[in-house]
Amino acid sequence: MEDFLTLLLAGVSVGAVYGLIAIGLNLTFWTTRTMNFGQGSVMMLCAMLTANLIARGWMQGLAILAALAVIVVLMVFTEMYTVRPALKIEGSMGWAVSTLGVGIILQGCAALWFGSQAVAFPDVIFSAVDDVVIFGVHVSLQYIAVVVLALALVVVFELLVRGTVWGRAMRAVAMDQDFAAVIGIPVRAIVLGSYIASGLLAGISGILVAQIGGTVDPAFGFDLVIFGFVAAVLGGMGSTPGALAGGIVAGVLQQMVGGYISSAAQHGMAFALLILILVVRPQGLFGQREINKV
Amino acid sequence: MIAPRTVLTRLLTHPAFILAAIAALFFGCSWLSGGTVQILTFLMLNILLAQSMNLLTGIAGQISLGHAGFYGMGAYASGILMKTAGLPFVVSIPLAAAIGALSGYLVSFPAGRVREFYLAMMTLAFGLIFREVVREWDGLTGGAVGLSNVPSTTLKNLSVFGVTLDAIDYFRIVVIVTAIVMWLVHNFIQSRHGRAFYAVHASEVAAGCLGIPRAGTKRQAYTIGAGMAGLAGGLYAHMIGYLGPESFDLARSIEVLVTTVVGGLGSMAGQILSAIVFTFLPEKLQVFAQYQFIVYGAILAFTLILLPRGLAGLLLLPPRFIKPASLRRAGTAGVAIRPVDSDRNAALVVEGVTMRFGGLTAVDDVSLELHPGRITALIGPNGSGKSTLVNVVSGIYQPTAGDIRFFGESIAGLPDHRIAGKGLLRTFQDPRLVPRFTVRENLLLGAHRRYRTSGLAAALSLPSAVREEAAFLASVDAVTRMAGIADVADRPLESLPYGYRRLVEVGRALLAEPRAALLDEPAAGLSEAEMALLARMIRAMKDAGLMVLLIEHHMDFVAELVDDVVVLDSGRIIYHGDIEGMRKSPAVIEAYLGTSETEGAHA
Repeated sequence: MEDFLTLLLAGVSVGAVYGLIAIGLNLTFWTTRTMNFGQGSVMMLCAMLTANLIARGWMQGLAILAALAVIVVLMVFTEMYTVRPALKIEGSMGWAVSTLGVGIILQGCAALWFGSQAVAFPDVIFSAVDDVVIFGVHVSLQYIAVVVLALALVVVFELLVRGTVWGRAMRAVAMDQDFAAVIGIPVRAIVLGSYIASGLLAGISGILVAQIGGTVDPAFGFDLVIFGFVAAVLGGMGSTPGALAGGIVAGVLQQMVGGYISSAAQHGMAFALLILILVVRPQGLFGQREINKV
Repeated sequence: MIAPRTVLTRLLTHPAFILAAIAALFFGCSWLSGGTVQILTFLMLNILLAQSMNLLTGIAGQISLGHAGFYGMGAYASGILMKTAGLPFVVSIPLAAAIGALSGYLVSFPAGRVREFYLAMMTLAFGLIFREVVREWDGLTGGAVGLSNVPSTTLKNLSVFGVTLDAIDYFRIVVIVTAIVMWLVHNFIQSRHGRAFYAVHASEVAAGCLGIPRAGTKRQAYTIGAGMAGLAGGLYAHMIGYLGPESFDLARSIEVLVTTVVGGLGSMAGQILSAIVFTFLPEKLQVFAQYQFIVYGAILAFTLILLPRGLAGLLLLPPRFIKPASLRRAGTAGVAIRPVDSDRNAALVVEGVTMRFGGLTAVDDVSLELHPGRITALIGPNGSGKSTLVNVVSGIYQPTAGDIRFFGESIAGLPDHRIAGKGLLRTFQDPRLVPRFTVRENLLLGAHRRYRTSGLAAALSLPSAVREEAAFLASVDAVTRMAGIADVADRPLESLPYGYRRLVEVGRALLAEPRAALLDEPAAGLSEAEMALLARMIRAMKDAGLMVLLIEHHMDFVAELVDDVVVLDSGRIIYHGDIEGMRKSPAVIEAYLGTSETEGAHA
């Protein structure tokens, strides 16, 4: 029973982060029908920078802010120089290759600067040994903090999208780019903004995952994006509550399979789940069928 | 004065040169050092991988970010089958290809229901997860320690039919296998199958409307591509004798993608050049190893934008998609259009069709009929729902309500390629052709649904396949003459002015030998002379007994050709009858604000 609860909480905790990653992917999917295939490296870089700056004696908050600032610059570059030109080439998925390319460059740079060994990630929120007793079971405070933080971010995100002018403009761009441009919405700025916000969500997710796992290395991130993608597909591409629900389902399943069957099956499970959902219900749990306009 | 690109292309693609190169490798290797033979074997595997990626990405436009997964599938399959299950080499290698192909099929299985980039993400996931599973599944794969003692030339325990192979024998086998696979792929690309791959790449919607099933084509591309990677993997396993998960990680997938992108998407010759560069360069530049990943990343990030056709674009002529052998046999006896058989049921009946997008009703309870040998004009102001109706009838949209019957059979809601397969063809308001194809290649695409020979026959270049292609090429010739585009038949479409594209698109529909044709504003933007050629083609359709629906704004053009007129306004039919009656109809005059006469004059 204790095992089960621990696995469940661990699953919800990682799953909430998968949900955050998925929301980041959804954002650019809304505005441009693209997603950053190098998102994993954004997560890695943010966590790596934070760990490094803290190790050099920076204040934790300052280190995180500095890392996020770097991510903003990076996403502006990615959108302007790799996504936008690639989208102009008709009938091509060049953007998938070019964004992956940026991810690979980052991974290479990180290995060069920080070495390819895993570095320990400092305890930003709680230490791994802090725990509380719920229903007679010891559960890690870190897990709980991650869940709470992820949920809070989702709520803030939803409020921003639904309540602000920028959020409404973004939904207009998602609906129909040409029309949005005609009625005076700065489409290019919105698209750029969606990439920046997507990168920020990825960066924060990176820090949270590194906090749970305790270490970060240059190759970190790629399989997290896969789980983020599974979460997005499971919940229905483009749906925010869906992303969170999908993330939690994927996270819990992953932990359960890993805990009770084997860690090899854990990765196979993610892939099987992805194929299954795409075959049975490609619009996901909460998504709607898309109509492709001709 | 012949451009150097032409000279180089002719040399590299000349059969004598290719045979000489194969012979040089085959016989010359006995004078080479063991190390050189090994790196040349590696080169052959890299060529196979690059060709596989090229077929998938360069030709079919589908991206694989996990090619090392397919490669690894083949390697572990053959390694385990030979070492653990004791199967012979000649069985385990084909099985490696089959298992690779199966994984490609599995990854692309959802192709029919999802956007294109999902499949790219699926391949990335497949590649990463393959490695994880190999690492964790100790019992079968040896886990992180790897699988050693795989029968191989290195360990001198690989034998075929009782003969123990050394590295040189093995190299010769790999050379022959690579050459055969490339010959098959080359034939395949220069057949209707390769053209269908490329058509899906250029425009999925246009491909579907020619009867090319987009999901099936994508699955086929992933299956064949992954099968080739699996074959390369199997051959790799028995060269080294040791398999470790790190040989099949993301970096390896990236390497294959980089090779293909640099070689030039679509060019088989470019892939060989690029494979040579990326096999030997890292060996020579050990210092470079540190920066390798960064350089590869930069190549991926910017090559497609800055140098989209890669090395091949710089050094070689663009590849062609018709076998020269078929072209030589084409002859001049083709006919552009043959009379279609007609039967009692011969009609296209649209009955009460409604199409709603959310709250917007684009087509509202429309009924009309087309009959053989009659041309019906569909006219109406912009936004009246004409194109939407064509999109519904041709299967791009599913109607919200109503029925569509073609030869008595309901076709409402069928996918576009099935409808095209029944002989209902359409053209687009904005011509949707393959820009990099020549006029001839584009036209031949129209005949896709009429081919009967299989992909295997095409790959083997069997006489039946060549004959069939030659027969269609003869029809293509006849259509180019009828459309007045015979003199530009071998020019790439992207180099031609707009008017030609329209004529090519209508000609392409002719080659499909349709029973009904829906033409969406075919005369828009044409000169007087081009319009006369177009009118000739449309009349030929009528004379051959086709049902023709013609959307057009140009009233003089319409008046000369049509038998019936249907006028749409705000999605509803406001007039149905002959053209004289239309000019007098108050409803029509009102819809055009009383300007129907002047509309014709200045359009």
